[in-house]
Amino acid sequence: MIYSLRHLTTYRYARTVNYARCNLRLRPRDGDGQQVLASTITVTPVPKGRGTRDEYFGPQALTLIIDQPHKVFSVEATSRVIVERPALPDPESGPSWEAVREAALALPTLDAASPAHFLFPSRRVPLMAEVTDYARRSFPPGRSAYGGAFDLMNRIRSDFRFDAKATTVSTPLAKSFELKAGVCQDFAHVMIAGLRGLGLPAAYVSGYLRTRPPPGQARLRGADASHAWVSLWCGNGWHDGAGQGGWFGLDPTNACGVRDDHIELTSGRDYGDVTPIDGIVSSPGGQKLKVEVDVVPDDEDMV
Amino acid sequence: MTSGGALAYDWPADVPSPDPVRGWIDGYERRPGVFDEFIDANGFTRGAWPRFLQRFGQIGEREVMARFLSGERHIHDAGISYRVYGDQREHAWPLGPLPLIIDGRDWAELAAGIIQRAGLMERIVADIYGPGRLISEGLLPAPAVAGSPEFLRPVHGIAPPGGRHLQLYAADVGRGPDGRWRVLADRTQAPSGLGFALENRMVLARAYPDLISDLHVERLPGFFQSLREGITAACERSDPRICLLTSGPYSSTYVEQAALARYLGFLLVEGDDLVVQDGLLHVRTVAGLKRADALWRRIDADYLDPMELRSESRLGVPGILDVLRRGGVVIGNMPGSGVLESGALSPYLPRIAERLLGESLRLSDPPTWWCGDPESLAHVRANLDRMTLRPAATPVRGPERDAILGPHALDAARERAIAALDDRPFDWVGQETGPLSTMPAWFEGRLVPRPFVMRVFATATSDGWRVMPTAFCRTAEQEGVDPTVMRAGIRSADVWVVSDQPVETPPLLNTITPKIRRIAGHLPSRAADNLFWLGRYLERAEGVIRLVQTHLGRLAGTLASDTGSDVGTPTSLRIRALLEEWGSVDEPDLPTAALAREALCDREQHGSALSHVLSARRSASTLRERLPVEAWRALTELQDLLDFDDSRVPSEAQLFGRAERALGHLSALSGLSHENMNHSAGWRFFDMGRRIERGVNTSSFALRFAGDQAGAEDLGVMLALCDSQIAYGARYLTGVSLPAVRDMALLDPFNPRSVAFQVEEIVRHLDTLPALRADGVPEPHRRAALRLAGTFATADATDLNAGQLAGFEDELEDLATLIAGRYFPGNADALRPEKLTGLA
Repeated sequence: MIYSLRHLTTYRYARTVNYARCNLRLRPRDGDGQQVLASTITVTPVPKGRGTRDEYFGPQALTLIIDQPHKVFSVEATSRVIVERPALPDPESGPSWEAVREAALALPTLDAASPAHFLFPSRRVPLMAEVTDYARRSFPPGRSAYGGAFDLMNRIRSDFRFDAKATTVSTPLAKSFELKAGVCQDFAHVMIAGLRGLGLPAAYVSGYLRTRPPPGQARLRGADASHAWVSLWCGNGWHDGAGQGGWFGLDPTNACGVRDDHIELTSGRDYGDVTPIDGIVSSPGGQKLKVEVDVVPDDEDMV
Repeated sequence: MTSGGALAYDWPADVPSPDPVRGWIDGYERRPGVFDEFIDANGFTRGAWPRFLQRFGQIGEREVMARFLSGERHIHDAGISYRVYGDQREHAWPLGPLPLIIDGRDWAELAAGIIQRAGLMERIVADIYGPGRLISEGLLPAPAVAGSPEFLRPVHGIAPPGGRHLQLYAADVGRGPDGRWRVLADRTQAPSGLGFALENRMVLARAYPDLISDLHVERLPGFFQSLREGITAACERSDPRICLLTSGPYSSTYVEQAALARYLGFLLVEGDDLVVQDGLLHVRTVAGLKRADALWRRIDADYLDPMELRSESRLGVPGILDVLRRGGVVIGNMPGSGVLESGALSPYLPRIAERLLGESLRLSDPPTWWCGDPESLAHVRANLDRMTLRPAATPVRGPERDAILGPHALDAARERAIAALDDRPFDWVGQETGPLSTMPAWFEGRLVPRPFVMRVFATATSDGWRVMPTAFCRTAEQEGVDPTVMRAGIRSADVWVVSDQPVETPPLLNTITPKIRRIAGHLPSRAADNLFWLGRYLERAEGVIRLVQTHLGRLAGTLASDTGSDVGTPTSLRIRALLEEWGSVDEPDLPTAALAREALCDREQHGSALSHVLSARRSASTLRERLPVEAWRALTELQDLLDFDDSRVPSEAQLFGRAERALGHLSALSGLSHENMNHSAGWRFFDMGRRIERGVNTSSFALRFAGDQAGAEDLGVMLALCDSQIAYGARYLTGVSLPAVRDMALLDPFNPRSVAFQVEEIVRHLDTLPALRADGVPEPHRRAALRLAGTFATADATDLNAGQLAGFEDELEDLATLIAGRYFPGNADALRPEKLTGLA
């Protein structure tokens, strides 16, 4: 499937900002079943300096310095991406989770895709005994790692309530787990915490999801959203289809494996590694944020 | 730290014992099975101990005590202190009277091991952030690195400017039962303790000056010179600006950092003082942005750059990693060096040493197993009863960072650790730790063995590593306390490395003549701000104290006054009203003694003299490296004088005495600043702060006590407040006259208390401070000062009116605002950065 993506972010500041420095992670990943045909990022006001920086896990980040006074800052990222991932494995297939855990420890590499990076708690994914125990119920001895994770994904989908008002971008994991509510970011963090608590390597992926307008209706402009899901390392070389390098995408918000409806931007240990836009501004006032996303498949029209 | 009896001397009365040393040796109960520094397994004393104790005994117990107490007083007065994690108070530094004495040959072996290990650590960290061969060749498990919170991925691939990751390496060492040194922990992040070791030596050098030279104790200056030269040599420019980056006065080791900055001549900066511009790092100074060539980092690396590391950090400098990547700044130690502190590295070091150095490791670790390895896990499980479980590389922060779950810690925490081996064995290492070796400590008049650890430091120089010939040693005051973490119940000790021959003393004259300069570098804006406010607070305190003293003195009849002791005279009501206006008292009609006590000593009153002194101390605490030690001492004494806790209200005479002594301390501080502080920019800001405030105070006094309707009593008070009675009496024989008093208090350019004098001094200071404009046109703050000086120079005392008096105060405050806007942080381009929120 070929997608046209548009991601517009607008910050409106209460007071004039004289200086800003930021990182943009808005260029989709090339490879692993994706091919980026075109990608542009437009920023206003025009930055003084614009550079790129290699990032450990994801594609290059775009770095900006803006030193002219402004009250509105906007970033529009557009791209065209082909997504063509192979078929997903059968849920109960693959090596046992105990074997995966041992294999992950023994791999002699610290490449970006090495499972060793994704075994440990990270800033936004602390390990909590309650979450580990919640996950443990999906992992009886000997079950395949992929199967256990698939089950955990389904349980999160049914036990947790999708509620955009329940949490914010900075709600700690303990809180969303207690509420059993939140958005994709919260579900992904909870699932990752559970998997890592058992010693399994799990990553956080940011991107977009294809949505389907109600039958007979056209897509509304700006109505899509950015999305996040989980990727689990289940061992190398046991499946010919998806999961190159051993990584398999699982979406706890929608209880499905990751194939052609998911477009990946970048992945990391948690949201902190993949934040689409972060940085600092020198301003004493507050800010308002507005985000518009369009994910338009080539075979579809938009209003 | 442990109140009054921190050092438990219990010296017997001055009865000379025939041979105290014999008694100390015989009374020493060394622990079986543990190496002791003083007495060997056969009961013989080791090395230089007898020589030391002989002299220690000869000096005489009283003398030793007196000398040491003077050293301890130095510790208190100089404010040598540390903070316990999570505690905002500073604790006085507990230092034991006995040094740890180590034989030179024994030390040389340890030093050789430290040098080897420092070199090995450099090679390992360079590989981890570079080619990664140790991992690909299977010499180091990937998770042992990946799990460390100090494995900073953004640093991967950055070649360290200057060529090395580690400028300073430290190891915590202790001896095994066989007497061989062992490394208990590597310190590579930002090792602390160097400054404390230096301070400890300074105290003991005061206490035993003759002993240090007679015993040929190795000296320290050479090491610090090497450290300085090592950092300098790594820089691009030949005359680099080197900064010590601190997290500020709330850091547990801030005092040490300030002491080191002062000793080494580095600029002590906080993140806010630094800014990245055009790809380079700069310090914000009173002369504009100046390039910073090197940073000695004393904040954890994760906080260094909110753009790439911990995004909520406000301690670092946005964009600094980018500067590092371009080679624009040297940072010692490189961010990410802390990964070497990971406990999971220990078991792999011997093989890595063979591989990288082709040598076997000279200093071994206690036997350690990383439980991420299945065989090691099995071994640890099988031998749990003698294993200490430690976090391997997992992010364990805060007070639990050094959690040690020893075999005897059979509590819930250890149970949890054992259970955690099931789910996440790779978070743990098992270690066979023996008991710590012991050294003698002085306890109730005898020598007792106490476990100790010693932090040994090495610095990289252009010719390799150099080890500091002393260490930062910590002992437990009581049995059963673990000295590996600095906390209550831990005492430190100086370490003396004694040589057979006289030691090399540093040459007095450097053979290379440096470029002559008269300023020590540009003053950071923040330091200027704090110095300015230090001056203002001290002068504010002085204003309150003078007002109180005048009130008390007037009542006691020491002032020319014909109204006796009636509290209700108009003048006295005016004094009380001003105290209330200043926030020094709540109620202006308290009895005189209660009023005076509240205005002087009440912490709750934001305008009391004590509150101003406390504020001054807070400002001064960020300026430790810039103030003479005596100034800190005078400030401490001033605080002690005002901060007395006595439920009874002292008599007026007692309070008068206190006020008088407080003024004495304040003038001592003035004298010190004039005579002992280099009259460079820092001093000028301090002095300007005092002058602004004194001008404001005097104007404010004049408005009340030299107004258009002022009577004789008012004018007498006015002269007293300006400390000008004697000068007035000598100049005028006719008694007080309003224009004459106004002239003396406000306009007289020869009276160091007049407002005109303050303004003239401020103009002089501003003339010498750096200008931002090169075209010679005065900047706004200077124009304002010149205008004010002109007003005073041309005013005529007989024409002045109350309206003008009121204006002076405002104009001085406006001038202060302009000075702040020009020199201090907080103006538009120096706003604290705010976080740009991310997106969901």
